[in-house]
Amino acid sequence: MAAVYVTGTGIVTGLGYGKRVTMEALRKHQSAVCEIKYLDTIHHELPVSEVPFSNDEMMHILGINDNIPMTRTALMGRLALKEAMEEAGLDPQKQKTALVSGTTVGGMDKSEKYYHDFLSNDIKNMYISTHDCGTCTEMIAGQYNGFYMMTTLSTACSSAANAILIGKELIETGRVDVAIAGGSECITKFHLNGFNTLMILDKNNCRPFDKSRTGLNLGEGAAYLVLESEESVKRRNVKPLCLLSGVANHCDAFHQTASSPDGEGPYLAMTDALKDAMLSPGDIDYINAHGTGTIHNDLSEGIAIMRVFGEKIPPTASIKAFIGHTTSAAGSIEGVISILSLIENYLPVNLNFKEKIDELSFTPWHDDTMTHRPLRHVMSNSFGFGGNDTSCIFSKLKEEQ
Amino acid sequence: MSVFIASCAQISIQKPLNDEWFYIPVHYDEPFVRAIDPDYKPFINPIAGRRMGLIMKRAIATSMTALADASLVQPDAIVTATGLGCIENTEKFLKTLCYEGESCLQPTYFINSTHNTIGSSIALHKKCHGYNNTHVHKGISFESALLDAMLQFELGKIENALVGAYDEMTQDYYHLLDKINMWDGTFASETAVATVLKKNGDIELVDLDILYKPEKQLLIDRTNLLCNKIGISTEDIDLLVTGKNNNKENNVVYEAFEKSIGLENKSETYKNIFGESFTSSAYGFYYAFECLRKGRSPQGKDVNNILIYNHYKNIDHSLILLSRC
Repeated sequence: MAAVYVTGTGIVTGLGYGKRVTMEALRKHQSAVCEIKYLDTIHHELPVSEVPFSNDEMMHILGINDNIPMTRTALMGRLALKEAMEEAGLDPQKQKTALVSGTTVGGMDKSEKYYHDFLSNDIKNMYISTHDCGTCTEMIAGQYNGFYMMTTLSTACSSAANAILIGKELIETGRVDVAIAGGSECITKFHLNGFNTLMILDKNNCRPFDKSRTGLNLGEGAAYLVLESEESVKRRNVKPLCLLSGVANHCDAFHQTASSPDGEGPYLAMTDALKDAMLSPGDIDYINAHGTGTIHNDLSEGIAIMRVFGEKIPPTASIKAFIGHTTSAAGSIEGVISILSLIENYLPVNLNFKEKIDELSFTPWHDDTMTHRPLRHVMSNSFGFGGNDTSCIFSKLKEEQ
Repeated sequence: MSVFIASCAQISIQKPLNDEWFYIPVHYDEPFVRAIDPDYKPFINPIAGRRMGLIMKRAIATSMTALADASLVQPDAIVTATGLGCIENTEKFLKTLCYEGESCLQPTYFINSTHNTIGSSIALHKKCHGYNNTHVHKGISFESALLDAMLQFELGKIENALVGAYDEMTQDYYHLLDKINMWDGTFASETAVATVLKKNGDIELVDLDILYKPEKQLLIDRTNLLCNKIGISTEDIDLLVTGKNNNKENNVVYEAFEKSIGLENKSETYKNIFGESFTSSAYGFYYAFECLRKGRSPQGKDVNNILIYNHYKNIDHSLILLSRC
């Protein structure tokens, strides 16, 4: 199978814009989860991790004219895409380049704000056409010309991970030379309230893989990975950051919103990702878990990890206590953080852990005196509503392993 | 590696789950027509059905029909396309949020509002733990899902796939999209098409291309490449299926393409029969499949090779080549 390289990454989360600030915050154990500031909601009792910029500030950073209708998801996407493209030194017009993006809320931030206007007058009509997910991807692409193809995935909280999967396969089948894959999602009242009605939001900071966990904190952000074929890497003479060695997608097929008690979907996704990467469980040095902090997810994922890795469970941590659950963007945001972990041989800790979950054989990675060790392969999990489960594996370049 | 279309099933504004439209299509003069629903009892237990939106019932009924017609119990992959997802439930949750505030919301509409509710409901219904993905890119959502399935075949990950395209339309959302001229020169409808792909059969899905803002020459080049795959030239294309409607701006793009590959006299349309939605191009695929199955088009052309060309607002374009062996 042809190798797929990562040659650029970009990220924006509650921790700020860019890879450097992200890693600095992770190393300093600074969580971005705090009281809601930007979203206009009554739910100030629910802590979240918001990207620390208003829409106007993001427009300013990006140099966008005020008159263009832009949604928050599109703005965050543009920030992340810009960083990724700059690192990869990529001009999409010069190679066959695909943009594959994941989102579920799309333009819901404007729709929920202007829905009454949509129905009763014509003053906000320009935001009717920014509602759907595909438009969101095209708005994110807007700053660049020359994409060969573009598409959008929506599998709830695994959307960006599935975009990475499609990007990888577009390259493996030779359909494109480069695929920029990832996702973007802002917090909306729509899904904040939706998650709230499901009673899976914690009023305190979330505690993934902790016995006392009671729910998740929502987060927002965007991240993109520039995926590239070996041939294109050589032709452009760029040094890749790492390999995207394996990805797999399976369906839990258990319940519309809850995870199965035996973790079948996550188990199959992790097992098949290892197979895709031609690795065995013992090769994985760190797992960036989905670990939302809900009762069901962490138990189901934990059991699936035990089924895959048996007695030798690698250091496993959820970083959602730092950045919240960034829903559709989580797969690429945590993918980028996994790549940075791999490159810097740094294992981000699972914040807020105190006590082991009874049913699990392992505790999450929380010892901050042992956060440096050589990493060769990192696994990143993303699981979504509907049991759409996807697992990605990033590996050091062969010569660096 | 070759991929074949084993079956297709539709629920639309034509008689559901059969091909009567091919011989006697129902004509409509209204600007917005909702699909004709079949009796869902043979497909869905009525208690489960009460919690399901129409889009989900249609997805399950077309999927079960396509699987049965293809003699397949469980697909290796379920790939779903939708432009707007479960818009009816989305709208219900959104309206409560906007008009009654944030304190009296119920979870049911939210749970059934996400785009992947459709694909995961099919998986849940069939207890299918295989590959499951959902594509949501406006007018190329269906083509993206087909391409996804092709990738899985090409990489040897699956032996068969269930690919579906679904969109529902509400009165309010019809009205919103009308305000931004979505229905100019066409009429709004709903989509439910399921198809089963296999590694053997008579009707080959040769390949497809999705292109973003392509130059005219690129469309010609890609068409030639598709033809080369089965050793034919554009002259051997018996039928060109396009998304033409009565919108001048939309049609001019199709006319330019037809002319550029010399197929002006070989084109037929499907939107006049099935209407318009984000995923209506799936009816173009279904139209072509039925033509190949019967060996002729509704307008009487003998067919072996069919090219399907669609574009959405001249931004997202797609080309699909089908051939009868």
